[in-house]
Amino acid sequence: MNSDDLIATLASDLRPVPRHALGQRVGLGLIAGAVVTAAAVVWWLGLRPDLMPAMHGATFWIKWAYTISLAICATAATARLARPDGATGVWLPLMALPVLGLALIAGWELAMTPPAQWLAMWLGQSWMVCSRNVFLLALPIFAGLLWSFRRFAPTRLGLAGMTGGVAAGAWGATLYCLHCPETSALFVLTWYSLGVIGAGLLGRLLGPRLLRW
Amino acid sequence: MRHGDDHLRALMLAGLAGDSAAHAALLRTLLPALRGFFRRRLGGRDDDVEDLVQETLIAVHQRRATYDPNRPFGSWLYAIARYKLIDRYRRSGRTTPLEDLPELADEFDFAEASDARADLDRLLDAIPAKQAAVLRATRIEGLSTAEAAERLGLGESDVKVSAHRGIKALADRVRGSWR
Repeated sequence: MNSDDLIATLASDLRPVPRHALGQRVGLGLIAGAVVTAAAVVWWLGLRPDLMPAMHGATFWIKWAYTISLAICATAATARLARPDGATGVWLPLMALPVLGLALIAGWELAMTPPAQWLAMWLGQSWMVCSRNVFLLALPIFAGLLWSFRRFAPTRLGLAGMTGGVAAGAWGATLYCLHCPETSALFVLTWYSLGVIGAGLLGRLLGPRLLRW
Repeated sequence: MRHGDDHLRALMLAGLAGDSAAHAALLRTLLPALRGFFRRRLGGRDDDVEDLVQETLIAVHQRRATYDPNRPFGSWLYAIARYKLIDRYRRSGRTTPLEDLPELADEFDFAEASDARADLDRLLDAIPAKQAAVLRATRIEGLSTAEAAERLGLGESDVKVSAHRGIKALADRVRGSWR
């Protein structure tokens, strides 16, 4: 087709683009994935039986503050990388804050606990499955993000894949908190983070292949 | 014809609001700039050039939601064109020195180029007419001293002296305006 005809064809079915179309599309992809992940938490893993009383305690909210703040930073970075001239700005370095904050709490926790119990606190009841579960719960959310990126124009595919993976991992971890009864900050800092990093690495690997346009 | 970034941005915004005439006008305006951009990079493979131009136009259309109205249109367009170019290199298995590409932004930024031309005109207007004419002939059009002398009806040494004085006068003016 010659280029003038192409232009005529492209312009002929022009639909207006709402001002926040990009953000809405990211949100839609995340929510669609999160619904699947939430269903998996409820029917596959099961909600923690003490969820209601736990929500009145501090540890539950510390966990959520950690995973949600990570998720917000990674989501914001990912949304910015959806633009061809996008840069992550402050969002990636900002992720150091929740990590440092949780590390401080973990340090305080260690100081308050006799060294003989450190290992038990670190491994909890579920260290063998925690990272894996976070990683698996990230997958539907990552798929939702991939869907939303089909209309985007990322140019740094590896980085966009990685931040998308981290965002999916952190949102997945947020929902995993509804199942996981572990209370130690050290546990969360290690095993949750490991699952999130795994999701980020997966995104880093898949980004250049799946985000091309 | 001058297409500043503001003009392109205005067309883009109208297109985003659903104005298909503005959208078509934008894409038509981009055609020559994109052709020039890809032609310089691909060196004469005109089928590839037109392919890439069309791919870029389609991307500009399909992915127009990724344009941030608060940012210059040129850098958005350039990022898309550059991506398409790199993608083409990658597919053809050719390795490209990516670090060379950012400099191309200057070649591509037609708004900036026309601004620079306007600046140059203003500067040349501010120095004596003979010196300006000599500089235009020798430094901008690239004529030799002999050709310039013949065209302007001056002696060759006069051309050399005028060019020298003209450059000095320009330098003084530029330095003066920076203070």
